[in-house]
Amino acid sequence: MLDDFLFRVRSLFRKKAVEAELDDELRFHMNGQLDKLLKSGLPREEALRRVRREFGVLDHVKEECREARGVSIVEAGWQDIRYALRWLRKAPAFTAVALITLTLGIATTATMFSVVYGVLLRPLPYRNASRLIVLNETTPKVGLVSVNYLNYLDWRAQSRAFSQMAAVCGVSFTLAADPPENVGGAAVSSNLLSMMGLQPLLGRDFEASEDQAGAAPVALLNYQFWQSHFGGQQSVVGRSLALDDRNFTIVGVLPPDFRLIDRADIVEPIGTWATNEPGAKYRGQRGDTIVIASMAQGVALPQARAEMEGIAARLAKAYPDTNDRFGVALRPIRDVLSGDLRPAILALFAAVVFVLLIACTNVANLFLLRCAGRGREVALRIAVGAGRGRMIRQFLTESLVLAAFGGLLGSACAFWGIRGVARLLPHTLAGETLALNGAVLLFVAVVVVICALLFGLAPSLRAARADVQSGLRESGRNASGGLGQGRLRETLAVAEISLALILLIGAGLMIKSLSRLLSVDPGFRPERLVTMKMSLQGAKYATGPAILHFWDGVLDAVRALPGVKAAALGTVVPFASDHSRADITLENMELPVPGAFPHPDVHFVSPAYVSTLGLRLERGRAFTDADNSDAPRAAMINAMLAQRFFAVEDPIGKRFMFGHPSQERPPRWLTIVGVVGDTRLYGLADPARLEVYVPFRQSVRDEMSLIVRSERDPNALISSLRAAVASVDKQQPVFDAASMEELISRSVETRRTTLILLGLFGALALALAAVGVYGVISYSVAQRSHEIGIRIALGAQRGGVLSMILGRGARIAGAGALIGVAASLGLTRFMASLLFSVGADDPFIFAAAAALMALVAMLACYIPALRALRVDPIVALRHE
Amino acid sequence: MPDQPLDLPQGTLDLLILRTLSFGPQHGWGISERVQQVSSDVLRIQQGSLYPALHRLERKAWIKARWGTSENNRRAKYYELTKKGRRQLEVEQDAWKRLTAAVAQVLEPI
Repeated sequence: MLDDFLFRVRSLFRKKAVEAELDDELRFHMNGQLDKLLKSGLPREEALRRVRREFGVLDHVKEECREARGVSIVEAGWQDIRYALRWLRKAPAFTAVALITLTLGIATTATMFSVVYGVLLRPLPYRNASRLIVLNETTPKVGLVSVNYLNYLDWRAQSRAFSQMAAVCGVSFTLAADPPENVGGAAVSSNLLSMMGLQPLLGRDFEASEDQAGAAPVALLNYQFWQSHFGGQQSVVGRSLALDDRNFTIVGVLPPDFRLIDRADIVEPIGTWATNEPGAKYRGQRGDTIVIASMAQGVALPQARAEMEGIAARLAKAYPDTNDRFGVALRPIRDVLSGDLRPAILALFAAVVFVLLIACTNVANLFLLRCAGRGREVALRIAVGAGRGRMIRQFLTESLVLAAFGGLLGSACAFWGIRGVARLLPHTLAGETLALNGAVLLFVAVVVVICALLFGLAPSLRAARADVQSGLRESGRNASGGLGQGRLRETLAVAEISLALILLIGAGLMIKSLSRLLSVDPGFRPERLVTMKMSLQGAKYATGPAILHFWDGVLDAVRALPGVKAAALGTVVPFASDHSRADITLENMELPVPGAFPHPDVHFVSPAYVSTLGLRLERGRAFTDADNSDAPRAAMINAMLAQRFFAVEDPIGKRFMFGHPSQERPPRWLTIVGVVGDTRLYGLADPARLEVYVPFRQSVRDEMSLIVRSERDPNALISSLRAAVASVDKQQPVFDAASMEELISRSVETRRTTLILLGLFGALALALAAVGVYGVISYSVAQRSHEIGIRIALGAQRGGVLSMILGRGARIAGAGALIGVAASLGLTRFMASLLFSVGADDPFIFAAAAALMALVAMLACYIPALRALRVDPIVALRHE
Repeated sequence: MPDQPLDLPQGTLDLLILRTLSFGPQHGWGISERVQQVSSDVLRIQQGSLYPALHRLERKAWIKARWGTSENNRRAKYYELTKKGRRQLEVEQDAWKRLTAAVAQVLEPI
């Protein structure tokens, strides 16, 4: 094998010598034969003729010798490439159009693939990432909820399907700095890092003893936080950090690829968290906790799920008051990290594959046109000794060379495309995972080969079937523009139109659902609203009066600012992605099982909340400053709650309490004083939920959002609002400042990004398909100009000629539209999860997209049709 | 009057070349002349297939080539059997004999 290869290579390098030897050898033979014939008495001319005849075509013999030596594969390949390059250079217009088309197709596909790879495929930087599962609790009232810490401890003790479990609680700290800062953090079990196969970059990991409440406060720093706050100093380990009035000892720095679901700048051991966290001791309380667990070797997800459901059912039985009807949800960590993006990404990837297919179809069409003029060349080359296999190789080399250039240019464009797309991704999916990396380049290489096969195959097979005799006889122009090829090209055009139509329909559905979504009434007036959060920590805010004093100070300072129309405080502000829910018991209600109590979102609000947000007060009154700790406990409910529980009676004056009635405690009733309209708390697409409102003077909260309605651009107000807060307490950080319109826009981000990209790809597909149809029709017009000339000369009406050509275009467009609509009916249901209040088979969108596609296709035919009308019969006839 | 020349059955060309070269180095023309002579003009090698075959055998290292001078003082490419080629010749000869014997047996009148 190796010998054979060396022989081939030697032959290749000694190519000139080998060729000369071959010449000498054959000449020697011919001379020998000639001498022999001369000796036998033949005249010289006759002898020469016989020798030549005997040898056949000399080039043919040589070619076969070369093939026998085995050089030809390597050498012919290089020859083919050079030939292909020359051929491409000779037709700059063809090459340019084909290259631009391919580049667009490959660049968009590579860009989207980088997203698919970065978000869905890339191996996560964790050990045994495929066995890492994120666990949440579930309740039929809400869906996924946080995990209670005591439940987690029971899970860990009872589960066999998981070799390890670690809790991760979202926390936040006030970092004493200038200006003071609120930093997000996490409290994690000491085994989290080692379970994920990560090690601190500096310092040490948490120790098992630090899982216990009462452990001394220590912290690991997130890599980015270490860079931004400590300049990446190695000496940071052992230093102390003041968080919420407590001194933490920094024990290490996390590796750069450590990433939890939310950003965590500071990580503390779960023991430090449990020290002063009521949720760690009471089963009814849920903070912001998830559990990450590693499935044991040989355990599959369904098995683990079955086991966890069993454990949850046992806990529900043992603790019905807190755990009734609570279950467990298990999700692979990758699904959690990619969030709700998966369907959108897959839909977009399908879209770019369609764009690429259309691009390939276009190039295939161009190739067929180009090869139509080559029938004679092909016949000639076969006649002088090139094998048919060799010709097929030649054609495939040409398409491969073209595709390779397309791949190069496409990758270059994808480099910018990826940067653009990375900016569109939600920030939680760190943009740095998107790059023109090896995986993307490998993908491009595969795409290049597939493309080359797609558009190189048709002309190759045609060449293989080329008839030498007729090929040589016919003039180049007519050589192979026969009926069969025309039909093939029409089929390709039909395919393009149907593909483009699928994309247009997809984009149309997205447009309609986004516009439906944005016209959903959020239940309040979002214009010129701005919100920001504050979390009061530490000893100075240990008591209710101190906290209220701060909130009152902030409201006064803010209301004094110019440009402020109204200001209020509240929790669980719409779109701010906070949540706080509780079971309630209505007075005199029939008691349900513990898990089926009404479970509304609870807002703690200042009096002006209703008017500042612009909520509709449907009944009763809003809170006033008189609703304080001395007054009877008051509450407002939302319309949904009123309707569900007070369908016939007036809810005003009725009472409810938080939690379930129990013997030990006397109930603390809240009296309903008002009913307000429903709001969309978690997104425009989210259905309304039950809500109750409680005056903040009667239930003091240390973490609230300030909401301000501005007279002008609310963003311009943010810095003076910060200053107003600082005037009350200059050590108090303010965070998550954003205008309400921005929050709403962020909530539809995935849909909008999908729409923008899908629209972009749809437009690209439309343009490419139009070019394709234009090419097919205009070629057929050019080819038939002789026939058209005769028709006109014989008295055909121009209208007749026009309708003949447009009819052909209409046939293509019609067939494409039909197939496209049929295919879309099958395909769009895969994007149903991206749609909002629009059916995946929305007839209006289907019709509009088909009409647009048909219109564009007909326009593309109209231009060549007009050209046909200008055919001068005399010129056309003389041309023959 | 010699018999009508026959077309070579598939696969026998290699055998003929190897056999001819077993008598000593020879050039292409010499090989074809010799085969024709020895077979009393029954076997005739087409030049169009002789040379590709020679190059193929050379690639398989059954024969090797060197340049020499012919009887009439022309530069000619001589082929000779290698050790591998000699072994191959034995294999092929043996196969051929068994084949012809078998065919003869089938054709024998019952």
